[in-house]
Amino acid sequence: MDTHLPFNVRLDPFATLGLAPSFVLDVPAVERRHRDLSRALHPDRFVGTSSSERRAALAKAVEVNEAWRLLRDPVRRAEVLFSRVGIPIDHQPATEPAFLMEILELREALGEAQAAHDLGAITRLSTAVAARARLLESELAEGFESARDDRDRLEPLVGRLGQLRYLQRFLDQVRAIEDDFN
Amino acid sequence: MAYSDKVVEHAENPRNVGTLDKNDPTVGTGLVGAPACGDVMRLQIKVGDGGIIEDAKFKTFGCGSAIASSSLATEWLKGKNLDDAGKIRNVDIVEELNLPPVKVHCSVLAEDAIKSAIEDYRRKQAQKQLP
Repeated sequence: MDTHLPFNVRLDPFATLGLAPSFVLDVPAVERRHRDLSRALHPDRFVGTSSSERRAALAKAVEVNEAWRLLRDPVRRAEVLFSRVGIPIDHQPATEPAFLMEILELREALGEAQAAHDLGAITRLSTAVAARARLLESELAEGFESARDDRDRLEPLVGRLGQLRYLQRFLDQVRAIEDDFN
Repeated sequence: MAYSDKVVEHAENPRNVGTLDKNDPTVGTGLVGAPACGDVMRLQIKVGDGGIIEDAKFKTFGCGSAIASSSLATEWLKGKNLDDAGKIRNVDIVEELNLPPVKVHCSVLAEDAIKSAIEDYRRKQAQKQLP
């Protein structure tokens, strides 16, 4: 997976969509806003306008899409929030060995379930991991809320984000396996 | 992204995938992860008499480049003594596999895994010599 900054840091996706920066988002509402803005910026609405207006609308539409892509995903959203206060997210503290061990065991169990075509086991693993991901997300939400823009209080949350990525990768793998089976 | 032929070759036919007994005192285990992307890599060495690595195994859950990096690392480790094994650098892996800049961190992960396996082996040996 790529570790370079996944977005243009000059661009604040919250501002682009007219939102206050927050980890807790009403995702369906944000999706509606993305859709409304995209409609308003659609090239069909700019037929007959000057080429600079058309270019500006297109650039804005790209920005709106990118903002939605970043904010709908909790991991990317957290990355945006860390970047806003200047916390680097590409140099992360090492993951605790016990957690790594757990992830490795989960991945091995998933591999075995896949080899055995055991859909029940895959579902059980995926349900358990998804529940942990949700727990981490709510811990992140609480952390972001109480730390506000205080760097020193936000910094320890970067490790939580790392853990969430491992779980997300696991769930990506589950989806890939399910696609394979279907 | 286009993978180099060597990456594809290792990713499709990974060498030395497997597990060694982590409780064996002659086995060193390195377990590392990349929190920036969620990849996990376990690399193990079995050290024979005379300090020569006689077997190496790995298990990597991650992208093709991470699998290829660890697969190549196990190939290089076999037959080396620990000091030479510790000299394997991620840039050697990058060069051999033609990894693009965005995949360099996969080779870093492999180097970390080698070092941590060697460290684990040495720690076990040191413990054995305690009275």
